Amino acid sequence: LRRCLISMDIHPVEETFQEIKKTIQAKDTFQNVTILSTSETLHSIKPSDVCCMTKNLLAFYVDRVFKDHQELNPQILRKISSIANSFLYMHKALQRCQAQRQCHCREAATNATRIIHDNYDQLEVRSAAIKSLGELDVLLAWIDKNHQGTLVA
Amino acid sequence: CISGGLPKPTNITFLSINMKNILQWSPPEGLQGAEVTYTVQYFIYGQKKWLSKSECRNINRTCCDLSVETSDYEHQYYAKVKAIWETNCSKWAETGRFYPFLETQIGPPRVALTTDEKSISIVLTAPEKWKRSPEESSISMRQIYSNLKYNVSIYNTKSNRMWSQCVTNHTLVLVWLEPDTLYCILVESFVPGPPRLAQPSEKQCVRTLKDQTSALRVKII
Repeated sequence: LRRCLISMDIHPVEETFQEIKKTIQAKDTFQNVTILSTSETLHSIKPSDVCCMTKNLLAFYVDRVFKDHQELNPQILRKISSIANSFLYMHKALQRCQAQRQCHCREAATNATRIIHDNYDQLEVRSAAIKSLGELDVLLAWIDKNHQGTLVA
Repeated sequence: CISGGLPKPTNITFLSINMKNILQWSPPEGLQGAEVTYTVQYFIYGQKKWLSKSECRNINRTCCDLSVETSDYEHQYYAKVKAIWETNCSKWAETGRFYPFLETQIGPPRVALTTDEKSISIVLTAPEKWKRSPEESSISMRQIYSNLKYNVSIYNTKSNRMWSQCVTNHTLVLVWLEPDTLYCILVESFVPGPPRLAQPSEKQCVRTLKDQTSALRVKII
């Protein structure tokens, strides 16, 4: 069964985030809480669950984080919008793959996704959104690492 | 001590090379000559409290090795330092969020060169990750970054011509070179993705062998 992998070059997205990372992370004042909780979520995902987990994470950012975040600085807003568009593109690509039944969602990915949403719900929505944005480097590094290989989506 | 009685240390950053993570800072302004000491704490993002490192409490130097404390490179960290002088101390000066996996500099590879008349063979060995003790088994940075690449720069000292090549695996053969010519080579490791500071290797120069055919022709004449 061929795996669904993101064909888009993610490095420009990483570079865009790099330009706003310090500013975004500085706004996150809750250092003792994380949204992605990598050791409980991303690090436990097996290759066969990468597609579903990626799709769920992209949906989380597209449907919640980018919508909940309010940004006053136009330059930062432009960068975030660019990242959001890239996420939208990748999410649609993985949805096509799911339609061809190559993006199965098993318990591991579903549980990991729920942990992330639960973490998000425990914070006030603006704080949760800014914290999630501040963790984009972790997400992008995970996508980059897990989507190297034969390109399908 | 009276907190805020001193200005904060400045320029607090992590200097990270191959996962050896050194916290460094500059003394507070306006205290030249004073016997200032420093205390460091660090924080694992997502955990509950700041932690101390006993070897970096009331120290004179302006750096602290936090490699052990930040060795899980997939986690993220903060660190902070305050200055102490007599009964006064500064507020904490804090780093931004430090993510070793994305921020560590990849050191240069080991470079082995062998020459022929018109070619130079280059064998590259990826740098090793920092380790707690010499007895600990070595981990290559390639094991952490499977997409590690090298940028090889070649300089012909006779023609002053310079060019570079991006290499993915660990060997490269330069062909169609000029015989009996000194070539200098520099190699830099890099990982595609967010920009990182880079450290080129030591420049190494080798001379291609004399052209044996022309030497033979001379003999025949």
